Amino acid sequence: MATMVALGLAVPGTQAQDANKGKAVYEACIVCHKLEPKSTEQGPTLIGIVGRRSGALDDFRYSRAIVRANIVWDEATLDAYLADPQAYIVGMRMPFGGIPDKIERRDLIAYLKTLR
Amino acid sequence: MATTLKEREVVVVGGGLSAGLIARRLVPLGRDVLVVERGAPRSGSESQLPSQRDELRWGIHRGLVQRENVETYTLRHNPDEAALPMRRLLSFLPGFGVGGGASHWNGQTWRFQTTDYVLRSHLEQRYGKAAVPSGMTVQDWGIRYEDLEPHYTLFEKLFGISGKAGNIKGEKQEGGNQFEPWRSEEFPLPPLEPSEAGIIFKSAAEKLGYKPFPMPAANASRAYSNPDGMKLGGCQYCGHCERFVCEANAKASPNLLLFPLVVGNPNFELRTHAEVFLINYDKAGRRVTGVTYIDTQTGEEFTQPATTVVLGSYVLSNTRLLLLSSIGEPYDPKTGKGAVGKNYCYQTVSNVSVFFEDRYINPFMGTGAYGMVIDEFNNDHFDHSALGFFGGAFINATITNGRPITARALPPGTPRWGSAWKAANAKWYLRSFNISCHGTSYSHRNNYMDLDPDYRDAYGRPLLRITFDFPENDIKMSDYVTQKAHEIAKASGASIVGTPAPRRGPYDARIYQSTHNTGGTIMGTDRATSVVSPHLQSWDAQNLFITGASVFPQNSGYNPTGPVGALGLRLADDLVSYLERPRFL
Repeated sequence: MATMVALGLAVPGTQAQDANKGKAVYEACIVCHKLEPKSTEQGPTLIGIVGRRSGALDDFRYSRAIVRANIVWDEATLDAYLADPQAYIVGMRMPFGGIPDKIERRDLIAYLKTLR
Repeated sequence: MATTLKEREVVVVGGGLSAGLIARRLVPLGRDVLVVERGAPRSGSESQLPSQRDELRWGIHRGLVQRENVETYTLRHNPDEAALPMRRLLSFLPGFGVGGGASHWNGQTWRFQTTDYVLRSHLEQRYGKAAVPSGMTVQDWGIRYEDLEPHYTLFEKLFGISGKAGNIKGEKQEGGNQFEPWRSEEFPLPPLEPSEAGIIFKSAAEKLGYKPFPMPAANASRAYSNPDGMKLGGCQYCGHCERFVCEANAKASPNLLLFPLVVGNPNFELRTHAEVFLINYDKAGRRVTGVTYIDTQTGEEFTQPATTVVLGSYVLSNTRLLLLSSIGEPYDPKTGKGAVGKNYCYQTVSNVSVFFEDRYINPFMGTGAYGMVIDEFNNDHFDHSALGFFGGAFINATITNGRPITARALPPGTPRWGSAWKAANAKWYLRSFNISCHGTSYSHRNNYMDLDPDYRDAYGRPLLRITFDFPENDIKMSDYVTQKAHEIAKASGASIVGTPAPRRGPYDARIYQSTHNTGGTIMGTDRATSVVSPHLQSWDAQNLFITGASVFPQNSGYNPTGPVGALGLRLADDLVSYLERPRFL
């Protein structure tokens, strides 16, 4: 109970709503990035993605471009990447055209933050 | 010699679409299901970038299809010729590996027309008995469209088909196919984004008074979750569908939507690298007792007893297995007697190419069913009274791909080699597309399959012999519909219109046309002229069921995967009832 109260105070209502909407946006990702701790052949797990370095997992075979990019996934880098993945990291091979809508990206990133 | 294994309840031969649909239905009910597949599971390089897009490996070398050095087919054009083996399987692509043909397909997903299931009755009723040529052996299926409609609807939901309805319960819908059989619901996903070629085709077709519509596609127009909770990603228009596994998990396939649902259940097993070469048949008891297969990795033989066997492999394998197992009477074209191998049909395809100085088609942005279509000249949608043929084709502009090795659209008169050839390639690659006709193939007395007397596969079993050529009826049909495609090409504003190329005989097995082989184990109400009943139950063995396009008595102008899916789902329901109380359905 105490934990819930603490969480309720720490997370402003709007952010929780963003994350909820972001869960719907995540439907476009889920077929390759399953909500499991293990990566699949098509995509690395996104549990713990926020704060992780690009190309960091041992159980997924990344493109060299992602490894060489050597960035930390935070709000800014995720936003730039998701807007146009192939332009942001040239040579990476995620077959996904990106999310042009800024609000949708914001919601998705809010959701990604909850994947722990 | 063969090791006998423990009996299983339902053994399905072939780990493709039919097996997936049957397992999906039976396994959750607690039925014991074993699927026996000759190829490998689909994982690794074929489904991962960058190797997934290796056109040489998967496209040219056909890495996902049957290996002709193990098993091929022999071909002759009429019953008087000697057949020769196809040394390369180039004109069609039999699936090999989990998912079968439905893992490397394009995704063009149609419902067969209401007249297709009652073709003989329909033609005789509309045009008179005498109008149907004596060599044309078209038959009724023994079921009607209404029997399949709910199964089509479910199949489209399971596979997340993108499209626009043209007829919902008899109400015509603007923007959809005005000729489609009625459907109970709209498609589960909206159509794919329009392509430049589609826009050009649409405006040309409308100018001529036709009603173009987007092709129904199993390439998901956006991310999708099906009624089983299985998911698809959104199509990325990468142009690697047919001959490939989808890199974005956006093309509906059994590997993605059906098998993962049941894998892990104790009463389900998918046994790969297991090539069935015999269905064990108790002729006196009119029952099958199981299958015998070879483990292709060790060479060991196993006999797998089963209470019920479902033959759900590729069209040609279904027919060959029946012949190898001596189940039913082989068809004889001289007497017309016997039904196994009868009514082999194909697809009669043709095209006209168009070239634009001022339009960019960008064919590298494509997907398997990325088409704009008209259906005015398909099946019996138009009056055939004075035409001298039956059947027709849908006419379409579909940008399936612009892959570097094979995308070679060149205007007539281009040199076959040298710098002028190179310059023309560079110029027209981005600026051309085909207007194609996807036509009916109606059965003919002389087109059939049997076992080859001379040639054998790597295991020493006779190869399947195909006797086929395009019948006069289909050649006349192709002439007619290709002329219609030519008119659309001329109305498109193209700078250059290619020479129309209607289909002509002899059938050339070196050129890819379509993987839509059909027939050989056809369904019907009369056991003298069919192999399985309208419930797909063998007339010669009560506990043997056969499904797939091998049960079509003739081929429609549409692609066959839709009805294969609907028949598979209907059979799955029938099996539930049969397993509760085994009997002749």
